[in-house]
Amino acid sequence: MSLDLNRKTVTKNAFRITKRRNYTAIRIRVPGGHLNASQIARIAKIAEQFGDGNLHITTRQGFEIPNIPFAKMAEVNAALRPLIEELELEHGVKIDNPAAGYPAAGMRNISACIGNRTCPFANTDTTGLAQRIEAVVYPHDFHTKIAITGCPNDCIKAHMQDFGIIAICIPEYDYDQCIGCEACVKACQRKVTGALDMNGSKVVRDERRCIGCGECVLACPISAWTRKPGKYYRLLVMGRTGKKNPRLAMPFLDRVNEEVVTKVIANTMAYVDRYILRCLPKEHIGYIVDRTGFNVFRDEVLQGVVLNPEARMAKTIQWPGYNTLNDANLKTPK
Amino acid sequence: MSGNPYQPFPVKITKIVSESDVEFTMTVDASLDMVPGQFFQISLPKIGEAPISISNYGKNWLQFTIRAVGRLTGAIQSLRVGENLFIRGPYGHGFPVEKLANSNLIIVAGGSGAAPVRPLVSQIVAGTLPVKSLKLITGFKSKESILFTEDIQSWKQKCDMTLTIDKPQEGWNGDTGLVTEHIRRLKLDLPDDYQVIVVGPPVMMKFATAEFRLLGVPVDNVWVSFERLMSCGLGKCGHCKIDSTYICVDGPVMNLSHASTLID
Amino acid sequence: MSAYDYSREEFAAVFAELQKTYQIYGPKRFVGRGRFSDTDLVRYAPLASLDELELAEKSSLSPKSLVFPADETIFHFNDHEFSQPQLKENGEIIVLLRPCDINGIARLDKMFLENGGQADPYYQRRRQRLHFFMIECRESFENCFCVSMKSNTTDNYEVALRFAGDRVAAQIKDQRYEGLFGQKGRAGSFSPEFVSENDKQVELPTVETMPAEMFNHKMWEEYDSRCIACGRCNTSCVTCSCFSTVDLFYADSRQCGERRRVWDGCHLDGFSDMAGGHSFRKNKGERMRFKAFHKIYDFRKRFGFDMCVGCGRCDDVCPEYISFSSCINKLSRTLKGGSDK
Ligand SMILES: Cc1cc2nc3c(=O)[nH]c(=O)nc-3n(C[C@H](O)[C@H](O)[C@H](O)COP(=O)(O)OP(=O)(O)OC[C@H]3O[C@@H](n4cnc5c(N)ncnc54)[C@H](O)[C@@H]3O)c2cc1C
Ligand code: HEM
Ligand code: HEM
Ligand code: SF4
Ligand code: SF4
Ligand code: SF4
Ligand code: SF4
Ligand code: FES
Repeated sequence: MSLDLNRKTVTKNAFRITKRRNYTAIRIRVPGGHLNASQIARIAKIAEQFGDGNLHITTRQGFEIPNIPFAKMAEVNAALRPLIEELELEHGVKIDNPAAGYPAAGMRNISACIGNRTCPFANTDTTGLAQRIEAVVYPHDFHTKIAITGCPNDCIKAHMQDFGIIAICIPEYDYDQCIGCEACVKACQRKVTGALDMNGSKVVRDERRCIGCGECVLACPISAWTRKPGKYYRLLVMGRTGKKNPRLAMPFLDRVNEEVVTKVIANTMAYVDRYILRCLPKEHIGYIVDRTGFNVFRDEVLQGVVLNPEARMAKTIQWPGYNTLNDANLKTPK
Repeated sequence: MSGNPYQPFPVKITKIVSESDVEFTMTVDASLDMVPGQFFQISLPKIGEAPISISNYGKNWLQFTIRAVGRLTGAIQSLRVGENLFIRGPYGHGFPVEKLANSNLIIVAGGSGAAPVRPLVSQIVAGTLPVKSLKLITGFKSKESILFTEDIQSWKQKCDMTLTIDKPQEGWNGDTGLVTEHIRRLKLDLPDDYQVIVVGPPVMMKFATAEFRLLGVPVDNVWVSFERLMSCGLGKCGHCKIDSTYICVDGPVMNLSHASTLID
Repeated sequence: MSAYDYSREEFAAVFAELQKTYQIYGPKRFVGRGRFSDTDLVRYAPLASLDELELAEKSSLSPKSLVFPADETIFHFNDHEFSQPQLKENGEIIVLLRPCDINGIARLDKMFLENGGQADPYYQRRRQRLHFFMIECRESFENCFCVSMKSNTTDNYEVALRFAGDRVAAQIKDQRYEGLFGQKGRAGSFSPEFVSENDKQVELPTVETMPAEMFNHKMWEEYDSRCIACGRCNTSCVTCSCFSTVDLFYADSRQCGERRRVWDGCHLDGFSDMAGGHSFRKNKGERMRFKAFHKIYDFRKRFGFDMCVGCGRCDDVCPEYISFSSCINKLSRTLKGGSDK
């Protein structure tokens, strides 16, 4: 009995072609990297029941259960249903037939650092944001990587993503409350960009150098620094790893609100649709932007976007990275 | 004035004498009641405020001897005769003049400690504060750092005075060695009969007072003056507090029996 | 003395009526202004209405800012004179606060009105216009040890208030409020109760004179590395009264400026720095000892009762989990020859 599979259908359903013939691996999405113990138990059960009892935690905070016979795909999909309901539908994701497994795999799992559910530095609930963005961008077939980090420490490595979202704050200073202890200035100078300075016994913030990490808010013994109400983000774009040209994502928009971030990502899907080279198996967004140029990308993704008044935007972007063509420089040491 | 004890009032600078590279004595117009050992809060708008001892005074004048070590003292150094200085005070407990009158008095001053004892010595040598005897030991780091050279000349004539510098130095024929060595050489027949004042850097005061205790001077007869960071001079800001003592109001001059119990 | 009962709505009307004459301060929740994102800050502030009064959580900063603001202009100056500024708003203020804080302000009174023999005019003018409305406190918050500090009770208030669900009860001690309170309420029998037990108990040292060896005892050494000198214990404390004076001048007119006094604290760097770079308490352990002795020993020697009122705010806010109350217990144990662990 030989298997007759449509490879495209299978991979779109989040099953993988693996090196072991006739066996597949299922990838389970965990938007924002948070799940509860009963969900883990459910995933474990799938691994035991349909795989060989092993499972892998992916770099993007999902799970991959290997060594499942292709023949079991339908059963696995049925077993996935409660997970899809709890981790996707409950967060507003639209999936027409949740009994049929994942409807797309191009959009990768949206990963997030632990965020302010636990971390004192985080400027937002990163998982919550991941779940909300998931509802906007999933299901989608274009290969896109999104990650959300709670502060510019960037524990989730937003700098390696197509879209890296850094939650920031806009610090507000209560002049009359400040006692001039310099704790914030020292913290900013030691750990961040030195955006704060003493002017006599008061503090001045160089607004251009402030990256919104919130160290000053954490440092101040009297809450003279607090976070401006609202949520603000820095949106990094088009970082990547890969075989050709690994490079860091760079700031495109800064101090923008959630609406802007979400709309820009959604617009990008339309942009990709328009410009992607369909002759290639799957062209990554970053390479599309390389071809069209930053300006085209910018103009397309900002269509219909109303920037909040605090927003800042990059004029041009140069992505730091390297080209693997330069490997010719690597020589055997004598 | 407004009855606001923080209110500084302007006084005119009438004379400035340079004592060394970094020290100078400034005379201002002021007729106020005060006691040697007390201090004033001196200030300049925009720069700030600092406690400075009275380094001498008369009916309508007052002197400060200031070491330019920082922002305020540096800025004061650049003032000229005719300009205004702002002051409030006098503050604190000065020397116990009634106890010192008609006593056998020994005064030991190290470095800038010479400033607060100067009005006392001046009054004694001028005869306005009569004492049975006065021995004066003043010590400085080097001959360049000696303060009040003119006064010292006249004091030498009028009392038993030792002027010493820490180490031998070219062009110096006078005494050398720390003040403690000179205290050790004192012969006190009836140590109970002496009142002793020691003013100088904390380490010097610690060792100098210990010498006097060894000589048998009762602790109740020894007086010291403390310097601490001060913001208010009024017993409010808390900077000068040691234990339950506020140096600005309970000091700066204190009896050793009290001072020796204080641990910062 | 009289007492009245109200529904919450009725009392809200009394509150609104009072606001015609008084500004009313109390603990208020500032949403999203907490140290960590999406947390709130509770601090004393003017209340726009009764609904703004926060009773569920202890304020992280105390009401002391009402009498001793974190930063206060004490003079305006130009090159040739210093002039004392008027208070921006000179009206009478009602402050809703708990017994510990009422006792805390009594400690500040000692420092600002008595110590040194002269009253501090800036403190005094703010203090004079303050009217204490005591919030009855029957259940203590986390870290409170007011009972050990004997600051759980007070009769230093004009009105006492009990907020219980949607009922409010008031006890009027000051006649001036009688008319206003009587109009809207029914006569009642409320008289405030006080916390009689805290989870946290503190044993105070009983020594008359602190033995000299306690000053550099090794029990303080652990704080050398634990305390980061952030100063939160000082700023949050209702009884810490230390300040520094600074001058600032206006960038647009270099002749004019202000002399301000700002909170300082013995845990902060620079508190004891002297000319020549000498600092008396470089080690954090020494600062801990200095603070501890002030709170439960020095102050008592000077004024006859302890400074600390056991509000527990210092324990609430220390980012390094240093517990002051545990430190006092450790000190007492050590003094009795026990373990300093
Ligand atoms: C009772 C008393 C009497 C004094 N008498 C004299 C005197 O007669 N002549 C004299 O030159 N100095 C005297 N001083 C010391 C003088 O107050 C300081 O040198 C002065 O405050 C430094 O101020 P600044 O603005 O120039 O220095 P800053 O720029 O403020 O600081 C320079 C250094 O001085 C330290 N400092 C700041 N304020 C004080 C302070 N109040 N006391 C000690 N160190 C401080 C700072 O921490 C820093 O290390 C006295 C101090 C006291 C407490
Ligand atoms: C002294 C002479 C010149 C200098 C210093 C110069 C320098 C540059 C620089 C710095 C850029 C920008 C590259 C970038 O933004 O990444 C550029 C772009 C460009 N130059 Fe020149 N250039 C010179 C002459 C010319 C000439 C003579 C031509 C054509 C005949 C030319 C054609 C271009 C083109 C087409 C680009 C755009 C390339 C792109 O956007 O990818 N340049 N040049
Ligand atoms: C006929 C002449 C020239 C043509 C057609 C030309 C074209 C180009 C092009 C297409 C690029 C690539 C831009 C990119 O990668 O983004 C480039 C880069 C560059 N050119 Fe030229 N160029 C010309 C002459 C010159 C001259 C004369 C100079 C200098 C004297 C110069 C300096 C540069 C530099 C420095 C770059 C790199 C810019 C960068 O990396 O940002 N070019 N040129
Ligand atoms: S930490 Fe707070 S009090 Fe200290 S200087 Fe900064 S703003 Fe002012
Ligand atoms: S709050 Fe804690 S860490 Fe900060 S100064 Fe006080 S004891 Fe030290
Ligand atoms: S020392 Fe701590 S417990 Fe005591 S009054 Fe101050 S903040 Fe409250
Ligand atoms: S504990 Fe420290 S900051 Fe608080 S009043 Fe005492 S000396 Fe001042
Ligand atoms: S100088 Fe302010 S209390 Fe002594």
